[in-house]
Amino acid sequence: MHELAFYALAACMVLFTLLTIASRNPVYCAIFMILSFAATAGLFVLLGAFLLAAVEVLVYAGAIMVLFLFVIMLINLRTEEQEGLRLNPLAIVAAGTFLALVSRALKDLGPAVADAPNALEGSPGLIAETLFRRYVVPFEAVSMLLLAAILGTVVLARRQRGES
Amino acid sequence: MITLEHYLALSAMIFTLGLCGVMMRRNVILVMMSIEIMLNAANLALVAFNRHLVPVAGAAVAPDGQVLVFFTIAVAAAEVAVALAIAMLLFRRLDTVSVDDVANLRW
Repeated sequence: MHELAFYALAACMVLFTLLTIASRNPVYCAIFMILSFAATAGLFVLLGAFLLAAVEVLVYAGAIMVLFLFVIMLINLRTEEQEGLRLNPLAIVAAGTFLALVSRALKDLGPAVADAPNALEGSPGLIAETLFRRYVVPFEAVSMLLLAAILGTVVLARRQRGES
Repeated sequence: MITLEHYLALSAMIFTLGLCGVMMRRNVILVMMSIEIMLNAANLALVAFNRHLVPVAGAAVAPDGQVLVFFTIAVAAAEVAVALAIAMLLFRRLDTVSVDDVANLRW
């Protein structure tokens, strides 16, 4: 049952990711990306990260994707600008190198990790406990970063005086 | 039995697809989507590692990897907001969203 769910979700994820980077229409790309992130959320559930699965759907498939769709529709690309994949030999080389390195690294993962999963389940209480005790300083730093991003976006996107 | 290697191999595949997307697409919005895909692949690897850590004797495994994924998602959201504002500016000033048209800083 676990195997079946993993392979189904993994196949969905690879397929939708492929469609995301290969579709000609940017709106389709955004839709396929939502589906890819939904499959990731399913994999998070299989890994016991229940809170993260919910956050993935809310933040990625909800907020970030709406942002992308908004900008795609504001920019309103003409059809001749909708291009597909451009085959780039450098990209093939980079992808091949990366895959070779990872498959070598997968051969000996070391004693700190095991094939069998441990008992960890990412319930909201446990995550909050860790986040607000051990990681409270990084948490505050991230909130400052988000504030900076909001201010930066407003400053960038504001129409300058004298501009139409 | 689904092992850690399965998740890591899937994560590597998704990351490679995102890498190809960054290098092969010209539309700046699609390049950003590919970056999000790469971040997502890294998130998957982090959660998988966290789930397969060997617990130290007498202690439960801490959800450090999952907390790190939290931070990644927050940083990705901030990055997308600023980057999309830049893309809007680009389109407003130069009437293009192609990365080839704004390659002045490229060596």
